[in-house]
This record gives sequence, C-alpha cells and structure tokens, in this order.
Amino acid sequence: MNKFKELDPLLHSQLRLAVMSLLIGVDSAEFVFIKEKTGATAGNLSVQLDKLSTAGYISVTKSFKGKKPVTTCSITRVGIKAFESYVNALKQYIE
Amino acid sequence: MSEKELSKDESLQLISDMITQAKRNLARGGSFYFLLWGWVVMLANLGHYFIYKYELYPYPFIVWSLTIPALIASMVHGARSSKRAQVKSHLDRIYGLVWLGVMICIVITLVFMSKVNYNVNAIILCFAALGTFISGCMLRFNPLVMGGAALWVASIIAFNVTPNDQYLVGAIGILAGYLIPGYLLKKVESEQV
Repeated sequence: MNKFKELDPLLHSQLRLAVMSLLIGVDSAEFVFIKEKTGATAGNLSVQLDKLSTAGYISVTKSFKGKKPVTTCSITRVGIKAFESYVNALKQYIE
Repeated sequence: MSEKELSKDESLQLISDMITQAKRNLARGGSFYFLLWGWVVMLANLGHYFIYKYELYPYPFIVWSLTIPALIASMVHGARSSKRAQVKSHLDRIYGLVWLGVMICIVITLVFMSKVNYNVNAIILCFAALGTFISGCMLRFNPLVMGGAALWVASIIAFNVTPNDQYLVGAIGILAGYLIPGYLLKKVESEQV
C-alpha cells in the first residue's frame, strides 16, 4: 500500500500557500505587493503572515521609506524546505 | 483570497498562478544605465581621440571627468528605484552584483594603468563586454548578448591598434554594445508598462 505524506497544514490553506508561492520566486517583497497579488484584505494577510513567521517559514522586517512604515517579507531556508516538501507531497497524490 | 482549505489540484493551480504573478514583475532591464553610460563613455572616447589627434588641449584625459556626474546620477537613480520597488527579485540582486564586479575590475585596471603602459581601453572593453553579455543572458535579451559580443570584438581590435586609436575603437564599440541595445531595451521596457 502506498503511504501518502501528509500535507503540511500550515501551507495547505489558500492565502498562506499563495504567499509562499509568491515569495519562493523573489528575493523579498513588500506587504502591499503581496496584498495586491493575492487580493487579500490587509487584516487577514497580517494574521497569515504572522503564522508563517512564527513557524519560521518567512522573515518579516519592518522599516521606513521616508516617514512611511514598510513591511518586507522574504522566505527563509526552513520555508523553502517546507514548500519543497509540500510540492513533493502534492506530487505523490497526483501520481 | 480567504483561508479556505484547498483540493490538491487547486493547490497546484494556485502555486503556478502565484509564480507567474511574481515573474511578471521581474526583469526590469536597466536601459537607463546602458544609455547614460553609453553616451558618457562614447563622448569621452571621441573627445579624447580628437583632442589628442588635433592637439586641441594639452590634457585630453580631462574629458573623462564626465564620468563623475554620471556616477552620481547612477547612484541617485539606483537608490530611487530601489526605494520605489515593492519587490526585489533574485535577478535584480545578481544583476547589480555583476555590474559591481565589472566596476571593481575597471577601477583596478585604471589604478594600475601605468603597469600596462596606459593601454587600458582594450582591457576595459573586455570587462564591459562581460557585464553586457551576462546582463543580456539574464534578461534573455539578445541585442544585449550581441552587444557584449560586439564589445569583445572591439576589445580584440583595440589590443592591436595604437593607444589613441583605441579611443576611436572604444567609441564605436560602446555605440554597438551599449547604445543600440540600450535603446532597443528601452523600447521593450516602455511596451511592458
């Protein structure tokens, strides 16, 4: 019998997976960019970024552009590994 | 977008959609730098060549002071666009590092120009060719790849002519390697917006 890997519950949710898929392809992205590309609300996005950050999948840095506060996110090594495992697990289901 | 659970197919579709979304924002080409440096270096090369040839002024190298405002303009432009950018791609970072490396090579060559009997033009063209060629490959923009090749040809010719003629070869090389591909890149960039 084939033993299927379980899908990482942290990634198996629409918005968190969208954020990780965006960040896997770039060096870093600002909050507004992620919000625009995912179409999420600011509140919901903040909550999901927090969850990903707490798990160590992304790093979140806060800085200023002039007087404007800016939140920048980038994927961590742990995040890349988790994303790869998630995609591999998905492949198993599809094969 | 909500926090709903996904089916396996939806997951794959979402991953592929988001990667495409991120890709669309990549490859800002930087035609600004090719045009700025193309004009400055071409005019400086021509200036040096004609001033020396017709003995118009005892210090022909004075024309190279044009590169100082160009360097300041490059730095200001770089700082502004990096501030404006909401996303930074891996490509942006490597692109910048390649040209930083080229600049370091050029500065080292200029500092030790007496060791190569002041025949620096051919060497500088070779470094500029490398930067242009790699940029063209990274952006998948063939005119820049060809521009890099043109600069290598110019470098080979420059190695075989007198130091003053090297300036003329340099000017033609920069026209073919920086300016023509730079204008083509600008056209592509304006169509993307």
